[in-house]
Amino acid sequence: MNETLTPEQLREVFLAAADPGSARVLALTCSLLLVSVVLWLVYRRGLREEYTPIWMGVALALVLVSVRLDWLYVLTRAIGAWTASSLIFFLGEIFLVVICLNYAVRLSRTGVQIKNLAQEVALLRARLERLDPGQQPLR
Amino acid sequence: MSHLEPGLERAVLIIPAYNEAASLGDVLARVAAADSGCEVVVVDDGSLDDTGKIAARSGATVLRHPFNLGYGAALQTGYKYALELNAALVVQMDADGQHDPAQIRELTAGIRSGNYDLVVGSRFLETSGYRMSPLRSIGRKLFSALARLADLRVSDPTSGFQGMNRRVLDLYARDFFPTDYPDVDVLLTAFRHGLRVGEHPVRMAQTSRASTLHGGLRSVYYVYKMLLSTVSATARATRRAEEQEADRP
Repeated sequence: MNETLTPEQLREVFLAAADPGSARVLALTCSLLLVSVVLWLVYRRGLREEYTPIWMGVALALVLVSVRLDWLYVLTRAIGAWTASSLIFFLGEIFLVVICLNYAVRLSRTGVQIKNLAQEVALLRARLERLDPGQQPLR
Repeated sequence: MSHLEPGLERAVLIIPAYNEAASLGDVLARVAAADSGCEVVVVDDGSLDDTGKIAARSGATVLRHPFNLGYGAALQTGYKYALELNAALVVQMDADGQHDPAQIRELTAGIRSGNYDLVVGSRFLETSGYRMSPLRSIGRKLFSALARLADLRVSDPTSGFQGMNRRVLDLYARDFFPTDYPDVDVLLTAFRHGLRVGEHPVRMAQTSRASTLHGGLRSVYYVYKMLLSTVSATARATRRAEEQEADRP
């Protein structure tokens, strides 16, 4: 009587699994929470406005996914994943890699700017001391 | 200690120093005794000890970084200062006492005569008895080999005892210059920019201080970083050459 499922059939079972309403609620809550935290950080000047689009984009994507869960299943089928959750993890990892790389680029640029500023301070300080040799070093 | 050599354009000696209070006084006394004809500039790279005070007391010009930026950044501050002064010649040496200021004139002779833009003081052109740890020795040979691949022959690519003219300063003041370890990668960049790079044999004292090629992960990072920057410098130079070739009528 035991029927053995092929991997393809098993995959279909996973994909056809009931769509739990709790997952939608969780995704919606997370997206609203994310939007709230971003807005709060902007309000408290902890996050500059130009850094917000990517986080608002993530929040919007979460809202879309929770409202139209069927789109997520379509995408899951399209890329050959077995479950929607594995697709979400995969996309999340890609997002984290991209955002880390983006921040590394920004940090590199900022590092050069800070170095140039510090060098400028050293040169200006030396010029000041040349103009007024009696002055104590500025530290 | 600051003066101009009669009959010659302005020359600057750059000594980057970070927490070198123990050795700097002696180094500056030897520099004064050597009468190199250079204006002495000590770049105090955010030292926590009396490095800056010792340098100022000796009469050197002191450029003080507000915080520690790294050996390469300290050198570059010196280059920028030399550019401000319109210096025609710059010599750089370390503050730990391993370089001999008495050799500054012979090191820079090739630049003064117009044969070279940049001269690296080498421990290995002549038998000097200088001993390196096996790891450092492997690193030096690896970087020399990398440079040879690009047709640049340098036997001591990690030497901090160098002389250069204004053309090199103009290049080294740019943002590509590394803040940490400017070694074979910047020599290659200079070479690829058409600057004439030469070597001169020098004596160097053994120092007990840990170098970039000593000690665990730091040395691994150093080799990795140097390989990456060397490859990227070569790739950029190749691309620039191709673009110049394409722009030709």
